Amino acid sequence: MIRLFKQPQTAMRYKLQLGTAVLTAALLLFLYIYTAFVLRHDSTLTNLSIRLQGSSLMHPLGTDHLGRDVLTRLMLGGRQTVGYSLLALAAALLIGTASGMIAGFKGGWLDRIFMRIADGFLAFPDMIVVIVLSGLLGPGLHSMITAIVMVKWVSYARVVRTTVITESRQDYMLAARINGLSPANMLSRHLLPHVAGQVLVLASLDLGKVILLISSLSYIGLGVQPPTPEWGAMLNDSRPYFQLAPQLMLYPGLAIVLLVLSVNMLGDYLRDYFDVKKEVRV
Amino acid sequence: MLHFDEITIRTSSRTLVDKVSLNVQPGEWHALVGQSGSGKSLLSRSAGQLLPPGLSAEGSILLEGTDLLGLKRSNLRSLLGRRMSYIFQDYQAAFAPFRTIGQHFREAIATHDKQRLREAPDRTSAALESVGLEGSLASRYPFQLSGGQLQRASIALALLFSPDVLIADEVTTALDSVSGHRVLSLLNRLRLETGCSILFITHDWRHVRRYTDRIAVMKDGRIVESGGTHRVLDHPRHEYTRRLIAAAPVLSRLPSGLQEAQP
Repeated sequence: MIRLFKQPQTAMRYKLQLGTAVLTAALLLFLYIYTAFVLRHDSTLTNLSIRLQGSSLMHPLGTDHLGRDVLTRLMLGGRQTVGYSLLALAAALLIGTASGMIAGFKGGWLDRIFMRIADGFLAFPDMIVVIVLSGLLGPGLHSMITAIVMVKWVSYARVVRTTVITESRQDYMLAARINGLSPANMLSRHLLPHVAGQVLVLASLDLGKVILLISSLSYIGLGVQPPTPEWGAMLNDSRPYFQLAPQLMLYPGLAIVLLVLSVNMLGDYLRDYFDVKKEVRV
Repeated sequence: MLHFDEITIRTSSRTLVDKVSLNVQPGEWHALVGQSGSGKSLLSRSAGQLLPPGLSAEGSILLEGTDLLGLKRSNLRSLLGRRMSYIFQDYQAAFAPFRTIGQHFREAIATHDKQRLREAPDRTSAALESVGLEGSLASRYPFQLSGGQLQRASIALALLFSPDVLIADEVTTALDSVSGHRVLSLLNRLRLETGCSILFITHDWRHVRRYTDRIAVMKDGRIVESGGTHRVLDHPRHEYTRRLIAAAPVLSRLPSGLQEAQP
């Protein structure tokens, strides 16, 4: 889907990537403010007398099977989804970067231990590990985020470790050593900038996956528990009413697609932006 | 000044440097010559505990009475770059690509002379100007400088704290001969100004003859001959030294009428 937009005209492509991401963000922000300050519906208040209604001025996207406003739930759900994704990703990023840097820089037995643990996690598909962990820790938010962090830190640790190992062999690291720099300084000032660009890009590309993961976990009932709105959970809730009110499944589905797409666009843009080798910036 | 005493460097199976002793006097320019793989670089790197993993050095290396091999890492760090500096052949890679030249200088000052960190910009421009570069280069990134400029900047950084010893490992190999001579005459001027001694690792005999005071010739991890530059060059005693000198390209021996250019 994203490849469709990849034209040879790079400047145009950058603008398109950034534009899509910014537009989607602006649209979502506008809708969020609109629901929070103009409509002001309660996202969890049920009212069976207005269940499964179509679009109206009061309920722009209609109501669900319990008479709750769909747009309000969609926006609050989006806040949950994006918020938790960012939280999980930030934690994974921090743990992964720190352990990858230490393992790569120190080497030896520490490196081996870290990487064997990572290999253990890598041996299973993401989804399986998350489901098992959610199952073990019990369904709910905490276990979902813990599970995602436990799965996701591995890839960052791997990437960071590889970069640190290659960069440590470079002469500028030797030069830093012969200038008497401490290992902490070498890591933070000379290696972190190298690692940061790569990891941020990887994270922005991962954000889409994590959003999908959180939605899918909620969809199968292991993530956010009702009545808290969440996109995956909304999809799950509206399954029985698919023939009666298909829009109930359409909206959260569309929201997921749109958000993941724009986040991926942002990731692509960041990757190009951080790619110093591509152009000489004087 | 810098005294290598019976240094042995070995891997688990092989001895790469075998009981080498070398003494660099204060203020002198001491050359260490030998073909590739003779162990010159390993010997020089052992002084800063910079050997590749898996190699260990035995013996003692004294810098004005301080045994460098026995020093703890943290103590060694306070000494590296301040009392003993290195410059290498690959000056292109000696600067971190994400940091400006000025940031490198600032970092060195923050490491060794934190109290005077405020003066860092002035000291940086002064150091850059002392090697014939403009002070404004401090705001540039390494890739924006030419090879010669980078080599000069690396010399300025190495001499920032007026070290007692500068170890120059094949610094001219990657430069053309004109730039090479410029860099060496610069080093010579700075040596006379600051009084630091230079351990100069090279295989270019022209540089050796012109600049150095004493020579040690290394072969297969041992020093086979050492002495005053002119004594060794004009009256080599060891067969290997004779062969090395004979193998060096000297323009006067070329059959054509070319003359060696006087800089």
